[in-house]
Amino acid sequence: MIRKLVQNRLVNVRMLTRIAGWLLLIESFFMLFPTITCVIYGESDWLPFASAACLTALCGLILATRSRPTSHHMGKRDGYLLTAMVWIVFSAFGLIPFLFCSRPLSVTDAFFEAMSGFTTTGASVLSSFAELSHGVHLWRAIMQWIGGMGIILFTLAVIPMLNHSGGMQMFNAEVTGITHDKIRPRISQTAKSLWLIYLSLTIVLVLLLWAGPMDLFTAICHAFGTISTGGYSTSETGIIAWDHSVYVKAVLIVFMFLGGVNFGLIYKCARGNFRVLRSNDVFRAYLGIIGVMLVLFAVSILWTGAWSGWQQLTLDPLFQIVSTITSTGFTVANFELWGPFVLALTFVMMFFGACAGSTSGGAKIDRILYLFKNSRNELYRCLYPNAIHSVKVNDKVVSPELVSKVIAFLCMYMLLVVSGGIALTACGVPVVDSFFSAFSCISNTGLGAGVTGYGQSYEIIPAAGKWILSLLMLTGRLEIFTILVLFLPSFWRG
Amino acid sequence: MKIVIAGAGEVGSHLAKLLSNEEQDIMLIDQDTERLSVLDANYNLMTVVGDPTSFSALREADAGRCDLFIAVTPYESNNIVACSIAKNLGAKKTVARINSYDFMDPANSAHVKHMGVDKVIYPEYLAAEEIITALRRNWIRNWFELHDGQIILAGVKLRAGAPIVGMKLRDFTFTNHHFHVSAIKRNHETIIPRGDDQMAEGDILYFTTTRDHIDELITLSGKTEQKIRRILIMGGSKIAVRLVNLAGDEFRFKIIDDDRALCNRLPQKCPDCEIIHGDARDIDLLAEIGIADMDAFVALTDSSETNIFSCITAKELGIKKTIADVENVQFISQAENLNIGTVINKKLLASSSIFQMMLDSDSSTSKFMALADADIAEIEARPGSKITKAPVRELKLVREMTLAGLIRDGQGQLITGNTHIQAGDHVLVICLAGSLHKVEKFFV
Repeated sequence: MIRKLVQNRLVNVRMLTRIAGWLLLIESFFMLFPTITCVIYGESDWLPFASAACLTALCGLILATRSRPTSHHMGKRDGYLLTAMVWIVFSAFGLIPFLFCSRPLSVTDAFFEAMSGFTTTGASVLSSFAELSHGVHLWRAIMQWIGGMGIILFTLAVIPMLNHSGGMQMFNAEVTGITHDKIRPRISQTAKSLWLIYLSLTIVLVLLLWAGPMDLFTAICHAFGTISTGGYSTSETGIIAWDHSVYVKAVLIVFMFLGGVNFGLIYKCARGNFRVLRSNDVFRAYLGIIGVMLVLFAVSILWTGAWSGWQQLTLDPLFQIVSTITSTGFTVANFELWGPFVLALTFVMMFFGACAGSTSGGAKIDRILYLFKNSRNELYRCLYPNAIHSVKVNDKVVSPELVSKVIAFLCMYMLLVVSGGIALTACGVPVVDSFFSAFSCISNTGLGAGVTGYGQSYEIIPAAGKWILSLLMLTGRLEIFTILVLFLPSFWRG
Repeated sequence: MKIVIAGAGEVGSHLAKLLSNEEQDIMLIDQDTERLSVLDANYNLMTVVGDPTSFSALREADAGRCDLFIAVTPYESNNIVACSIAKNLGAKKTVARINSYDFMDPANSAHVKHMGVDKVIYPEYLAAEEIITALRRNWIRNWFELHDGQIILAGVKLRAGAPIVGMKLRDFTFTNHHFHVSAIKRNHETIIPRGDDQMAEGDILYFTTTRDHIDELITLSGKTEQKIRRILIMGGSKIAVRLVNLAGDEFRFKIIDDDRALCNRLPQKCPDCEIIHGDARDIDLLAEIGIADMDAFVALTDSSETNIFSCITAKELGIKKTIADVENVQFISQAENLNIGTVINKKLLASSSIFQMMLDSDSSTSKFMALADADIAEIEARPGSKITKAPVRELKLVREMTLAGLIRDGQGQLITGNTHIQAGDHVLVICLAGSLHKVEKFFV
């Protein structure tokens, strides 16, 4: 297939390999942090990290220097292909440390773990964290942190050479949302501003957590996992280890919530324009859904009687709701005792996700709004066939083409969940757990399979199932089109 | 530089793409969501959907903080209003495209300025100027002047039988010190020539020279200079009216148009020229007017196709010089190969004129953009820059560029291998499109 592309000159292969090379250099740079951490803590894992960093850097250097592009032009195909490829390549190199660390994983498990990290799913195959080194914890956190805002977006911010239309194509292929709003005229400025917001939020969160009961290392790891809405924790029980601390939970709720807000909106607020919050339909819907869910959760918990204090009726459900809707996937204690209705609501929230243009997963509230408004119009049209009703979001009329694209997206999303779930049952996973895991992975939530009572972590899922889930995570993170377009025959033919 | 462009029509989009490639911050405002979404998805710029004459849209585009505000919607009054609002919001400099001479008239300039419009762009006027230049230098295809004509870059098509056909560039410069062959356009491609390249029949050669030697080019390229006097204009468009009024007594014009109502109005606007009602594609009619006596034929109808084909017909009827207005940008390259003398395009003229304006505020580089795939730029050599370190032949310059001439202390001279560029020189550089940023590195 690749040869066909080169022959047909559909894709600028040399340019793609060169950029992939640069990206690998960036990844190897990030691998240095766990290496140093291991050295500081006197752990033997520094060796696998150091060698992985060297190998990645070497491959990166070879690709970046050996490939001499004749043209710098990058079209739509290049954008899609490169973005999809980069996420896979990043995971492929990111798994190396897991293979050789003090608690080695199989290739399947390591790939799953890396993909789950980069896509900020936070689904883990690790069930016992006792033997894990600090380096491994940090690497899992860093993977989520880079993946949260986006690998490509990071590259656009740091490599000035991508500040042209080719960079635009990559931006479009990676950034979540329907229309990919830019916040500043040039793509590198947009990327820089977004990363600056992201970085500042992370630093504030680290400091806040550090000021609480956490030590610096744990604070960093949790901050990375929270703001990226990833959901990896440094303890095998996850956030339950901090169940006693109202402070930690409150801080995490706020920052998970922020991670689910459109970063363009945060940028505008940071520049003093708070009016945008009130006029933004999606943000209001985001708040509204959380409010309604909180009431439903509280009633449901009261009904099942699984509570012993006010905290279990207010803070815990709120934490769980924000964690689910932003696709972070932290769970509070006793979540599984709250009953099937809550589990069903969890499905709904995983499907919804938070705002487009945030680090969260799911289908995004924007699209759900389009869907509901359009459905209402269709119903209205049954009564008044000649009435013209348009879908209006954020005071702007949306073109019918965009609405149809959104509905196509939602249909494909559901089809993928269904086919993913069915494929998992073929691997021998029980029906409910299959669909829950498929949903959890495509929405990048990563709520443990344990929630449905099937095993403690994703470790229990058979190897084939893990590959299927990894693919679902990637498809979900890149919002379906970027991956599925690669399967279109005309992508590979002129 | 922060630039806000109001109107994503052909001029607006063209400018936006051009300036975005030059690494400027571009905000594009238009009411057409569809048109903007295409540009937004494919180019490195930001778009705002909204009415360019509304405060809200201009605020959203942050027009108050821009360095340059360009209003190029199709309507003159909208452009003026948009500029006025932008200026009041705090835009540093505003440019409006206008459709009548009224706003350009020096008598009104203070009022126009008062309305918040710093500069006006009148594409029909630019086109008329371009046509007059082409008529005066009728043996030349393209003509650029630097510093009041101290250095001239002229594009000439090489005829069969010209003395320099088949000559290698190295031998040519050996005998002709006053000319520098800066670029060759062969078929659809522009080449930056080296000493080994040969000049062939049908090439368009771009010579750099000084004013004193320009006339020698006529014989070198196998041309004969004709004095143009009688001109037939097809289509009584705005350009035609502007052209007739701008040219004065230098030429005698006949305008032919197939719209009777328009023909009836024309004598008011162009008092001294003869108006004929009819279709200029009708050869009998042309013979009746006396096409054989005409020196030049200028096709200015609204249809690019009609203009191109009627120019070809006019050539066949024996007219020496033809000029076609080709508004479809896609056709230009094809039209240039079709033996039509000069092709003009209002949109390109307007965009390059605005582009020039932008560069005026940043005087170190200025660029003309009349060639399809090559850039011509005037760059000032900064003190301590790489280009001033050694004579040209010892500099390792990139292959896509050539240094044609320079202006030192207001005097133009050509650059040879022995020239040592000094700080403060304005150098004329010709390079292939897209490589200007590589070239600029030598000058900073």
